[in-house]
Amino acid sequence: MMDDLMPGSLVTARLAIVSGKGGVGKTTVAAALALAAARAGKQVLLVEVEQREGLAPLFGEKHIGYEETRLAPNVTGLSVVPDEALVEYLYLFYGIRYVGRVLKGSKAVDFATNIAPGLRDILLIGKLKEAERRRVAGAYAYDLIVLDAPPTGRLPRFLEAPRSVVELVHSGPIRTQAQGVLEMVTDPKRCQVVLVTLPEDMPVTETAEAKEALTKLGVSVGPVVVNGVFPGTFAPEDLAEVATDARAALTRDLERSGLSLGDGAIENLSLVAGAHARRTIHQHEAIEDVTRETGLPYLTLPFLFSPRMSKDEVGVLADALVEQGALAEGAEDA
Amino acid sequence: MSELSELIADRHILVCVGPGGVGKTTAAAALALRAADEGRRTIVCTIDPARRLAQSLGLQALDNTPRRIKVESTSSERRAPELWGMMLDMKSTFDDMILDMTSPERAQQIFANPFYQHISSTLAGTQEYMAMEKLWELHEEGRWELIVLDTPPTRSALDFLDAPKNVTDFLEGRFLRLLLWPYLKAGKTYLKAVNFGAKAFLKVATKITGSELLADVANFFMAFEGMYDTFKDRAKRVHELLAARRSGFVVVSAPQEASLREARYFVQRLGAEKMPLGGVVMNRTHTVPATPGLEDPRRLAERARAAGDGKVLAPALDLYASWREISLREEDAVKAALGDLTEVPVWRVPDMADDVHDVPSLRRVAEELLGPLPPMPPRKTEPRNTAEI
Repeated sequence: MMDDLMPGSLVTARLAIVSGKGGVGKTTVAAALALAAARAGKQVLLVEVEQREGLAPLFGEKHIGYEETRLAPNVTGLSVVPDEALVEYLYLFYGIRYVGRVLKGSKAVDFATNIAPGLRDILLIGKLKEAERRRVAGAYAYDLIVLDAPPTGRLPRFLEAPRSVVELVHSGPIRTQAQGVLEMVTDPKRCQVVLVTLPEDMPVTETAEAKEALTKLGVSVGPVVVNGVFPGTFAPEDLAEVATDARAALTRDLERSGLSLGDGAIENLSLVAGAHARRTIHQHEAIEDVTRETGLPYLTLPFLFSPRMSKDEVGVLADALVEQGALAEGAEDA
Repeated sequence: MSELSELIADRHILVCVGPGGVGKTTAAAALALRAADEGRRTIVCTIDPARRLAQSLGLQALDNTPRRIKVESTSSERRAPELWGMMLDMKSTFDDMILDMTSPERAQQIFANPFYQHISSTLAGTQEYMAMEKLWELHEEGRWELIVLDTPPTRSALDFLDAPKNVTDFLEGRFLRLLLWPYLKAGKTYLKAVNFGAKAFLKVATKITGSELLADVANFFMAFEGMYDTFKDRAKRVHELLAARRSGFVVVSAPQEASLREARYFVQRLGAEKMPLGGVVMNRTHTVPATPGLEDPRRLAERARAAGDGKVLAPALDLYASWREISLREEDAVKAALGDLTEVPVWRVPDMADDVHDVPSLRRVAEELLGPLPPMPPRKTEPRNTAEI
């Protein structure tokens, strides 16, 4: 089955877990991926955990709650909160309604989640599993579920939670639940991690480490998304000169165009252009390292000079994903 | 409030705090390296598994034991800097703490408990708490003039300062004991005598977790009996150490709104807790100065294009315009987040074209923060010898 996956295709499983080192733009990429799929006519559920409140502003909304909320055409948002998930879980599996209400907002949820470390994560992933399995009139309710996941530093622990719980809890429904979750996260047809990185050494190295750790857990990892790639401002043949001696290149062009600039202006222009060119060269090197270090294909997303990420920027990134075949058809409904 | 150079020269403990992804580990390493370059025996204790950073400092991997980092001195007149490094291993720190507090038999009993194995590596706040414990140990050892502590990438600023209280509260387990007491001590018949809330609670807890786990938890708390007070005392003295005059917190941030919100929160929180705040390191800033002649770079770019300029001038003008806008925006964001806190110094590190991952680039970061390395002060006493590990 793995051989059928098209390189570069992000969406081969129905649950895409988007993660990356802190500060690489995970949330924006998760939103862009959801939007791209939605524009292709898929029903998408976009999920955040830990009440990060990062997704809502990207769609011009104030808040996403535990109720599934429409964010854009075909995009539904959901913020999974452990105590809500616990209450729902107790009701669904035990028919416990009253105790659920008592539990909610009390110290009891802390109790339950601390007593069985990993339980909190099981509840969160369990909610995803419920959405992944949910059917409406015979068809899956969602064609794609995108999770804006915890950063890579904490992701293995998050995805390991079902295994820990299976080891820790010897019997009972929570064990069954954990086993079900474990099956989902280790099935490449159902669940895949999308790692986001910046084109810089340290994030690329961390991506490679994360890939290794996730593979050990039996979790499938899809192509890497390299975010924040500078547009090709300078022609490839000019890049090296601008990086080493921007002043010379600028002086030559000024003479050619007949424009004149003061010395201070040329100096500051050279500083900005030179730094940008050197950065671009480093980015190229880091991008080359992605496949070498991770063994994974990659897609790139452009650096945007915008003041803040909003619906428009997410749209631009979604287009870029589509252009690179991020949505090539992969696994179909099982 | 203080100058960064004063912090480097005189403090005994520097704690770098801030949100994830802003270059906290790099800032901690750069400050430690500078202090060592200035002749202070310094250790940097890092949390993040920043393997690349360890490699760049000539160590294959840092671990829970302090190791001397081989760093060439900046000039032939200076001694080789005494920089040490270590990476916190939270589980073995927790184990050591327990070994220290109780009999070996009881410690083994605790280590074998599956519940302990899980909380010692996954309980929220444990990592932060163990970082503080390690800080105390390093302080007690008395081998270092300066200890620089990098802190875990917290989900929220709250986590670090609240960690000791959360962990000790958990270990005290007042709530847990209350609920588990009848279950443990007397078996289920006792449940009758317990109030309805506890009974309902136990019923649910058993359903969620299974009864074996509850037994593990109960055994853990029984084995832990008497140790809680020691934990609490230790948390208290670490708090006192952090609040002492010779300690300093450095809040690390980046000039983006989300990081700045966290940084502001941290600054205020440290103030409220009467913790010694040194200042804010603003990482990855893009400062493009206003330039006479470049007031309207986009229009100039159009003119350059119209004049058939070659291929560098027009794109360079557009770039200048874009980076200048980012520069102004970052300044506004920093001002909006921290501008009213006039007594808090902000030290900027420009976004470097090269990744920071070796000694020379760490020294460049230090120079951006502190200026060039000051001339060597006359050394009054010979440094005492320290055995290399």
